[in-house]
Amino acid sequence: MPRVLEPQQTPSFFVRGPSPFTRLVFFSAFSIALIATDARLHYLDEVRQGFAALTHPLQTIANVPSGFFHSTSDYITTHTSLVSKNRHLEQKALEQDSKLQKLQLLEAENEHLRNLLGASQSLSQPARLGEILHIGRDPFSHKVMVNLGTRQNIAPGQAVVDGDGVIGQVTRVYPFSSEITLITDKELSVPVQIERNGLRAIAFGLGKDNVIDLPYLPVNVDIQKGDRLITSGIDGVYPAGLAVAEVVSIDRNPDLSFAQIRSRPLAGVKNHRQVLLISIPVTEPATGEVVNKSARGADRTLKLQPALPQPTAQPVPVTPDANR
Amino acid sequence: MQTVSLKNVYLSMLLALILQLAPWAGYGLLIRPDFILLAVIYWLLRAPHLCNIGTAWFAGLVVDLISGGLFGQNALAYAITGFFAVSYQRRLALFNIWQQAAYVFVLLVFTQCVVMVLKLFAGDDVPQWSYFLPSVSGILLWQFVIFTRLGIEPASGKN
Repeated sequence: MPRVLEPQQTPSFFVRGPSPFTRLVFFSAFSIALIATDARLHYLDEVRQGFAALTHPLQTIANVPSGFFHSTSDYITTHTSLVSKNRHLEQKALEQDSKLQKLQLLEAENEHLRNLLGASQSLSQPARLGEILHIGRDPFSHKVMVNLGTRQNIAPGQAVVDGDGVIGQVTRVYPFSSEITLITDKELSVPVQIERNGLRAIAFGLGKDNVIDLPYLPVNVDIQKGDRLITSGIDGVYPAGLAVAEVVSIDRNPDLSFAQIRSRPLAGVKNHRQVLLISIPVTEPATGEVVNKSARGADRTLKLQPALPQPTAQPVPVTPDANR
Repeated sequence: MQTVSLKNVYLSMLLALILQLAPWAGYGLLIRPDFILLAVIYWLLRAPHLCNIGTAWFAGLVVDLISGGLFGQNALAYAITGFFAVSYQRRLALFNIWQQAAYVFVLLVFTQCVVMVLKLFAGDDVPQWSYFLPSVSGILLWQFVIFTRLGIEPASGKN
């Protein structure tokens, strides 16, 4: 009777659930599926938004101690430092007032010229003042969180600036907060223009503090140390003319196909607590009217190019063959 | 050593979450220990009947959500770490305090390595050595907590 002598299966005294290895395999497969879904299919943004709304109260609690510290240190600021700061600010305001008058004049003149040309008019953009809640959790990506979200009509893609220039771009929006990728982040690029000669380029972050890269420019490019890079405005995201960076070093090694140009961001990317979130600009389609009708020959008529390749822009039907 | 209830586990996890959410910046961010991972390892080693690999995985998922990184990378790392913590959990009672600390340090570094490998797959650069500073600060915090008599009952020291 070998059947009876066979060892019986030991009954389990303690209910322990599945073995650790089973659990590990199950959860690993689940997380790999999640990683693939998030990285390739981008289905989980809503989940993330909902969860951010859930953790908002916790976030508020976590911010209490540092907020308390800031407010007390603000309160304890000494009289002399306040006076000196006030004097400094007054002086600065005076300087800026004079500059502002010049700017108004230039703006009026510019608008007038644009009207004459019939070129696309960029509307002045509404902006919102936001406060930085905290720096991103990952020390290897350059991101900050700001206290404005979908409730304040913030949309992904908006440009973020401070008094000195561009800081970055809104990349993710939650109900009460939004994530800003700084221009020094590896994943952000800004279309720029060299202020001195108008040369267009694209500036990339390098994932390092205070460095912006200008790749893909030929070795003999006309660029000098100290050149200011401003936004070109042709991307439809950043308003034109905001300062981005200043060229710090140029390495023209003829063995390489491109010049190695490093620049330094002008805005206080990591200094300020307040930033401006600028709405995405609306550009009107250019009408492309003929401007110099009084010119002698019809073949000298210029056709204005619209600033953006808008499909609604009507091309002027003037061709050399039609004149003959 | 007192008995622990499930409430203790979840309250400490919540506390760890709040610490993690606090506005760390600059050097503080660089050396910030992974509070949630420490809490998970602590409960996995001390009370494996209350906290299992599933808990570790879920904690990792929460970390992914608050850090805004790729969904599931910390969850996977936490689950693997949880597996190693649980499978050597009974042997741990034979270790003294310093051996326990060494073991926890290995677990912390291992978790960061898994996350790093996943990030490398996702296209990130190889980080600098300072990437592992949170493990160092984490083990210091661990040792501090152990010395304040919350320890996992080492063989020699009977409370």
